Amino acid sequence: MDSATTNLTVDELNDTVLEIEDFCVDYGWGETAVRAVNNVNLSVRRSRVLGVAGESGSGKSTLVYAVTRLLRSPGVISGGSARLTYDDPTASDVKRRTVDLMAASGSELRAIRWSQVSIVLQSALNALNPVLRIGHEFDELLKTHRKDLKKEQRHARAVELLGLVGLNEDRLSRFPHELSGGQRQRIMIALALALDPQLVIMDEPTTALDVVTQREIVNELAQLRARFGFSMIFITHDLSLLVELADDIAVMYSGNVVEWAPAGDLYSAPRHPYTLGLLNSSPPLSGERHELVGIAGAPPDLSQPLSGCSFHNRCPFVLERCSRDVPPLRILDSSGRKAACWLHDDPTTVPVALRRVALATSPGEPAPGAPMTLAREEIR
Amino acid sequence: MRVLGRRLSLYVVTAWVAITVNFLLPHLMPGNPVQNLIGKVTGQITPQQVRSIELLFGVGLHQGLWSQYVGYWHQLFLGNLGVSITLSTPVSSVLASAVPWTVGLIGVSTILSFILGTFAGALLGWFRGSRLDSVIPVATFFQAAPYFFLGTVVLLLFGSDLHWFPVLGAYSQSVTPGWHWDFVFSLLRYGELPVITIVLSSVAGWMLGMRNMMITMIAEDFVLMAVAKGLPRRKVIAHAARNAVLPSVANLSLAIGLVVSGALLVELVFNYPGVGNLLLQAVLNEDYPLIQGIFLVITMTVLAANLLADVLYFILDPRTRTEAAV
Repeated sequence: MDSATTNLTVDELNDTVLEIEDFCVDYGWGETAVRAVNNVNLSVRRSRVLGVAGESGSGKSTLVYAVTRLLRSPGVISGGSARLTYDDPTASDVKRRTVDLMAASGSELRAIRWSQVSIVLQSALNALNPVLRIGHEFDELLKTHRKDLKKEQRHARAVELLGLVGLNEDRLSRFPHELSGGQRQRIMIALALALDPQLVIMDEPTTALDVVTQREIVNELAQLRARFGFSMIFITHDLSLLVELADDIAVMYSGNVVEWAPAGDLYSAPRHPYTLGLLNSSPPLSGERHELVGIAGAPPDLSQPLSGCSFHNRCPFVLERCSRDVPPLRILDSSGRKAACWLHDDPTTVPVALRRVALATSPGEPAPGAPMTLAREEIR
Repeated sequence: MRVLGRRLSLYVVTAWVAITVNFLLPHLMPGNPVQNLIGKVTGQITPQQVRSIELLFGVGLHQGLWSQYVGYWHQLFLGNLGVSITLSTPVSSVLASAVPWTVGLIGVSTILSFILGTFAGALLGWFRGSRLDSVIPVATFFQAAPYFFLGTVVLLLFGSDLHWFPVLGAYSQSVTPGWHWDFVFSLLRYGELPVITIVLSSVAGWMLGMRNMMITMIAEDFVLMAVAKGLPRRKVIAHAARNAVLPSVANLSLAIGLVVSGALLVELVFNYPGVGNLLLQAVLNEDYPLIQGIFLVITMTVLAANLLADVLYFILDPRTRTEAAV
């Protein structure tokens, strides 16, 4: 996979598949409502991968389900917009169409779903209907969206898709419980690609798998992306995994995007204390091993009103104003990277750990383990 | 297939045990029940009847228990269940005239109730919290009312008073039974009220069971996936319902098992010439050969229904086809 972050033209930057603006999601209504996603602005560029990282309950999954209008009750989208831009294969004149997902009607959504935006869930065992054969899942999908295909053509397509993820066509006659976890997740990926979507959302697709299978699947995903060029939102709590796959990474904490940066920059030179904490709590991809350090404390209870930065009571570099004022997500330098942290307001308050120069590495080849070890020393 | 074969052999063993117990029970009766029974018979007693009674209780025969048992099986395979004491006709022909009525009435009602309840339950589950929910208390009310009571009320109100439906019996006295349109029409007309009563009083169970399973299924990832795939709502509901129906199918087997013995009270209220009515008469008259015959039929029906449900479950849920690890 080549480096995706260098030399982008303005056109490329503006060529987005999904544009999320001021997005807010609540759980519940009225006074008991809990804000799970708070004023999130994100965009997914064409043929690029946006990684969304954060711990459980940070709102990363809620965000994508809300954006795709799949959020279930009691989740409520309480503000913001999301626009999907896609190439309409059926249109004769204007090929590229933009749809406001929040305003789309049921039938409009159904037409876009899976044909333009597909999803791979964490547990493929639960995502596949237990009483249906794998072949039925493919057939039903193709029957719904590609009405022009005949039965044999649908079968041929299913066989072709299974081939893409390295599975034999005899899997089509199996039931989900007869397959291994890795095979099931491969089938989900094959299903996700069935209609050549513009955007594939991966919601922790490798979390339920062992590390070896995880590695295989990540490699396959990278190859498939290089071949078909779909955009991807990859949600995970594993930052080191994201660095290999993602072009940009957004780090979420208690419903807010706290840092956004090109993947390599974020990995080698984090700017938000939470990102630093996340990096310190997972082993480096290469280089010297270091002692893993967790982030002290627990995420805030979202049902309690919180003043200031949501991370302030766990932050090792906390300033006085952090408990008072909410830091906005701001552009830090010419690379366009953003962080929501008061530390960067004044150059003198930036700790050494958050001041590192981004190493010119491409994703997949992170710098030797040194930065991680350094960061740990600095915290002490 | 091996799983199914194993189940089948289990059923064969169960059937054998049931038949053996059915044979043994009268033999274990104390005293001399034969004389008692012969005394009960009003009018002429035929030698056939005496023989039947003696065979039943194993008295007055100079045979060991084992050879009687072998003889019992032999008669069973010949379809000979003895002779009814009160009716002076072979038990098999008495049963042959009663079983179709009950299977027809209760079978149709049970299947109808299952289908209606399951469909309603699937929709109620999907649209939970909507105005549709108001159906539930109404259905539960009918379920809570004992169905012979419900039957009596329905009979008096819609039959006797309003004359919307014919009452009493399985068909009009003015038509002769046979496969012609008049008879079939009369059959359907007379069946309406009992069927409505049974469906009304049992539909809530199917409905609530299905609704609750639907609500559980809706939370499953594969239903979310069905939505994400852009499937039409009808198909999404089908995805959930296909899984939600499994426990109901298991319950259906139990319900079908009760079809033969089942609605004794309904048959009484509507004066339907089925097995329930027959069993009551047989018990009141201590007509042991008949009781034994009815028990045998009921046992076999329950077993057959369970086997049917197993096969159905086997087809519907692929996970049951896997051999158990142990």
